[in-house]
Amino acid sequence: MQSVQAVPNARHPGAGRRMARDTPKGRQVTDAARQAVAALLAGRDRQRDLLIEHLHLIQDAHGRIPTDLLAALAEAMRLSFAEVFEVATFYAHFDVTDTDPPVEIRVCDSIACQMQGADALAAAIAAGTPARLQRVPCVGRCDLAPVAVVGQNTLDRATPDQVFAALAEGATQPVLPPSIDYDRYRLNGGYQTLARLRAGALTAEAVLQALDDARLAGKGGAGFPTGRKWRTVRDQPGTKLMAVNGDEGEPGTFKDRHYLETDPHRFLEGMLIAAEVVGAAEIYIYLRDEYPAARAILTAELAKLPADGPRIHLRRGAGAYVCGEESAMLESIEGKRGLPRHKPPFVFQVGLFGHPTLVNNVETLWWVRDIVERGPAWWRGHGRRDRTGLISFSVSGRVAHPGVKLAPAGISLRELIDEYCGGIAPGHTLRGYLPGGASGGILPATLADVALDFGTLEQYGSFIGSAAVVVFSQADDLRAVALNLMRFFRHESCGQCTPCRLGTEKAAALMDQPDWDWPLLQELSAVMRDASICGLGQAAPNPVLTLLRHFPEVVGA
Amino acid sequence: MVKVTVDGIDVDVPAGSNVLQACEAAGKEVPRFCYHERLSVAGNCRMCLVEIEKAPPKPFASCAYPVNDGMVVHTDTPMVRKARRSVMEFLLINHPLDCPICDQGGECDLQDQAVGYGGDQSRYLEPKRAVKDKNLGPLVKTVMTRCIQCTRCIRFSTEIAGVPELGATARGESMEVGTYVEKALSSELSGNLIDICPVGALTSKPYAFVARPWELKKTDSVDVLDAVGANIRVDSRGTEVLRVLPRLNEDVNEEWLADKSRFAVDGLRRRRLDTPWVRQNGKLVKADWQQAFDAIAAKAAGLAGDRIGAVAGDLADAESMLALKDLLASLGSANLDCRQDGAALDTSRRDFYSFNTSIAGIEEADAILLIGTNPRHEAPLINARIRKAILAGGVHVGAIGAKADLTYKPQWLGEGPDAIAALLAGTHPFADILKAAKKPMLILGQGALRREDGAAILAACWKLAAETGMLSADWHGFNVLHTAAARVGALDLGFASGKTLAQMLGGGVDLLWLLGADEFDTAKIGPNTFVVYQGHHGDAGAARADVILPGAAYTEKDATYVNTEGRVQRGQLAIYPPGEAREDWKIIRAFSGMIGKTLPYDTLAALRARLEQVNPVFTRVDMLPRFGCTDLTGPAGNPAAMRGDAFVPAVVNYYMTDAISRASPTMAECTAAAAPLAVAAE
Ligand code: SF4
Ligand code: SF4
Ligand code: FES
Repeated sequence: MQSVQAVPNARHPGAGRRMARDTPKGRQVTDAARQAVAALLAGRDRQRDLLIEHLHLIQDAHGRIPTDLLAALAEAMRLSFAEVFEVATFYAHFDVTDTDPPVEIRVCDSIACQMQGADALAAAIAAGTPARLQRVPCVGRCDLAPVAVVGQNTLDRATPDQVFAALAEGATQPVLPPSIDYDRYRLNGGYQTLARLRAGALTAEAVLQALDDARLAGKGGAGFPTGRKWRTVRDQPGTKLMAVNGDEGEPGTFKDRHYLETDPHRFLEGMLIAAEVVGAAEIYIYLRDEYPAARAILTAELAKLPADGPRIHLRRGAGAYVCGEESAMLESIEGKRGLPRHKPPFVFQVGLFGHPTLVNNVETLWWVRDIVERGPAWWRGHGRRDRTGLISFSVSGRVAHPGVKLAPAGISLRELIDEYCGGIAPGHTLRGYLPGGASGGILPATLADVALDFGTLEQYGSFIGSAAVVVFSQADDLRAVALNLMRFFRHESCGQCTPCRLGTEKAAALMDQPDWDWPLLQELSAVMRDASICGLGQAAPNPVLTLLRHFPEVVGA
Repeated sequence: MVKVTVDGIDVDVPAGSNVLQACEAAGKEVPRFCYHERLSVAGNCRMCLVEIEKAPPKPFASCAYPVNDGMVVHTDTPMVRKARRSVMEFLLINHPLDCPICDQGGECDLQDQAVGYGGDQSRYLEPKRAVKDKNLGPLVKTVMTRCIQCTRCIRFSTEIAGVPELGATARGESMEVGTYVEKALSSELSGNLIDICPVGALTSKPYAFVARPWELKKTDSVDVLDAVGANIRVDSRGTEVLRVLPRLNEDVNEEWLADKSRFAVDGLRRRRLDTPWVRQNGKLVKADWQQAFDAIAAKAAGLAGDRIGAVAGDLADAESMLALKDLLASLGSANLDCRQDGAALDTSRRDFYSFNTSIAGIEEADAILLIGTNPRHEAPLINARIRKAILAGGVHVGAIGAKADLTYKPQWLGEGPDAIAALLAGTHPFADILKAAKKPMLILGQGALRREDGAAILAACWKLAAETGMLSADWHGFNVLHTAAARVGALDLGFASGKTLAQMLGGGVDLLWLLGADEFDTAKIGPNTFVVYQGHHGDAGAARADVILPGAAYTEKDATYVNTEGRVQRGQLAIYPPGEAREDWKIIRAFSGMIGKTLPYDTLAALRARLEQVNPVFTRVDMLPRFGCTDLTGPAGNPAAMRGDAFVPAVVNYYMTDAISRASPTMAECTAAAAPLAVAAE
């Protein structure tokens, strides 16, 4: 205990004065940073949902996101620094760093590119240039593997020399493929169906009936009946919104990009018809950031549309596969981290900004015009094995001619390869395949004759999803394939829920061992499948489980 | 209401409830980490799994799943147990098995659940994840390897505390929880993060490694470091208070506690008065009780009652104040004051000086006007209620006084009395908001009352309340926010009579008895006034004393306090006062006996009977009747006498407001951590 004598000398600490402040404490923003951000934001809105767009402005201008600019952005948008930092670090395409040089080269490390020597390509590039190189997940050009990206310039079937040349020339802009522009699309009869609908010559009910009769199912992966979805949203009270899922991130899938880069207005017309039918006040198109060419085309073509429809916002993803999950996509459009939401409520009830929201995939909308104009019977006229309609397969791997293949529903893998892909690649024999990208599981050659469609593959622990078919041969190490896919999920898990965040990590670690601990991997898979919040975690164990089931010899089980 | 069957038990729960709540209603325990009743639902830990009939055959996270009428839930099936066990195993994967050194040990949800669901040994042998610890300032220590990413802390800081400084960075397995700039949390509620973290990732920095929970004696008590009267639990070991935790009281502090109340307890061990002292030849020297009493008695002998006065400090309990009042009466004096700050409080009616709406009642209000108060610093828990009401929606908040970050954004109406006048005159549009509101309320702070025109302001505010519909038969929207735990109890006991403190100063009395009074300028005491300081800390009052009587701090006595609402609550003795120090009423009674004026009570029960006799409010322990106001007659002041100068905040440094917090090294650290920012703001 202290003695009392000490007290008279002690200054009365409560006598000190502390100034109250009106702003929250935090990082002090420098004037230079404030000005830099003000210049980037000049003339732009600053509401919260534009956060990701504005982060792109900084990333594009500086090749990275320095923290002082991040703080200045928070201030300019009246957000807390924590909030802005959370969002910026969530997305792979935002490089929040004060020291690292900008990433100049990206080399895809997903399965199709890996099969075509992406590792060797990356190593050769790294040996030949000091420019910063990053391995990235699927960039959606699997038929042209291996792919390297210099800036935003995608180099197909890339060689180190091509990359060095692009670097030397500063060729960092996307090269735009030829596409049907607004005038040509109109010349060929485009936008007449939309006009008839708006004029009342075509009723919404007739459109819905056509979709129902065609039995068009969503092309994003879940296969929900499109007509039913539209009707449900149409029946919701209050303001309705529409969001287009162009976040085509499933490894092996590139059909949406194909349609956007060839005939964008067919998609836009379908989209506007949908908005008209359900009564959506505004439309948000969420396009993955890996598609700069498609973005450039869409930007240009959207500007040509007459200003008589709903307001259309083109939003840019930022490198997060999970944003392909519809509720995560909505979070991202709102300018937040892409964390999938809990359901119920479903997005058609409480969606974007709290409004009932119609979410459709790009390709689904692309088919609307044709189904309405040619009639549902035309659509149903395609098909095999009692299936009807068309499926756009993204085919890559060991086939002679990979690419987007429009084929009848119900087609088998063997037929798809033989009739549409020029057969298996020379020198290879079919060993197995992914019917639905990374999530759909791995099937063996013995299942090459079943219908590639919803309702058939499930019994084999698999599903078709977005119809991304990757074909393997005896040259491919299927264990390495499964590990590649699990690593992809680990990288892309949003981290929200325990089973997926830790399950993908532990599964990848177990699969990296020479001997796989099967009982443990199975238990781990079960809890991921059963207890994860969203489809990412639920589907992540599919490659492992199907490998065990169909290729026991490979995994020593 | 919807009907849900949980493990065969039928319960009715409100529509919109989640399944976890239905399970609780049925008395079924569902394990959880991320779910917290007072926070938004995150549904991320996946521990609360249950099985639902007629739903897909998989476990559902009950906290994130809404109930339906007729839903049938099973909380304990093999599928559920297996899934929970796996989730548990996952959480333990990265969690270091450092329970023996973890401060959460014995109070850890993870440890508890691991007993129920964890296996004996981790089957994942890879190295555990390393995560850098974050510096969150002097109060909260982080051991982030223990974090299970439940995001409770993030939700607490954004939702309850209103300082969105915590967040999750990156994603997937790289996701980390923390701040982005290494800096002290700027919340006065940050200590609650420690309670809310289900594992030992966020623990008390000052309390680190001090003791294990099972070594502690736990005593339920009441906080006195502001006038909220938060319910607390005092954990002690031997002669030391080691920590203070909140105790649930929905009407007062819910389950929260403000940082000063939690962390200033190390001040209880510093600068303590543990023996009597007597001034001889200008110097204080140690003495025994007899010598101290003799010195006072010698001074008191022959003094006219009017030359004697007493001042009650901000931490004084009702029992000792009453004993002191009775003692002075026996000496012929009624010179009593408790308003050290000179606040113009009108004691003629209880609702002139109380927080009449009640703290919980804030949630009913639809318009709130703050006058001369910064509740964030004066009563953080009341501020949290205001914020809660705002988040619930439909509340208009206006404020008159110095602009400050209150964690919400009121409409600033002005800096001083002019704004009150404008509201009275109806010339400020906020007057219409008040009039249109169904349950408007105002909160009048001490910053507005402790000035020369305080009485005028008090009267003006009452008038405003009366004229804007704040006073009705079933709603009382006039509120005085106190900062001193002793104040309302003192006023209830009439400890404001005869000479005021100002009149006692400068030689107005010859014998001045300070009952823990440290919050006025002691230099103004007349040089010839003999000062008795009765209290527990060697602070301002003791420094000026001629005799020091060592008393008990709030953790060392059974005592009654009345909070700003007028709620009578009782604290309890957790440890004994140090050394020679004694419970305060006993000191006064002992002195009364020595001078032959023995007070008529020699037990606590007898003294409490006397309390009830003096004011029947003391019969209502822990009960606060709500009442409206039908007698609109206001306090005595003249509203027209308000002057123009701006209100000055009553609390300038939240962390140091009394003898205990000023003695606290932790509060000194907090003051220092906050100070540079104050400079930056200028
Ligand atoms: S399953 Fe994975 S991606 Fe989906 S919410 Fe959980 S952590 Fe995020
Ligand atoms: S620090 Fe604690 S409260 Fe915060 S996320 Fe981690 S475990 Fe949850
Ligand atoms: S308590 Fe329900 S998921 Fe965490």
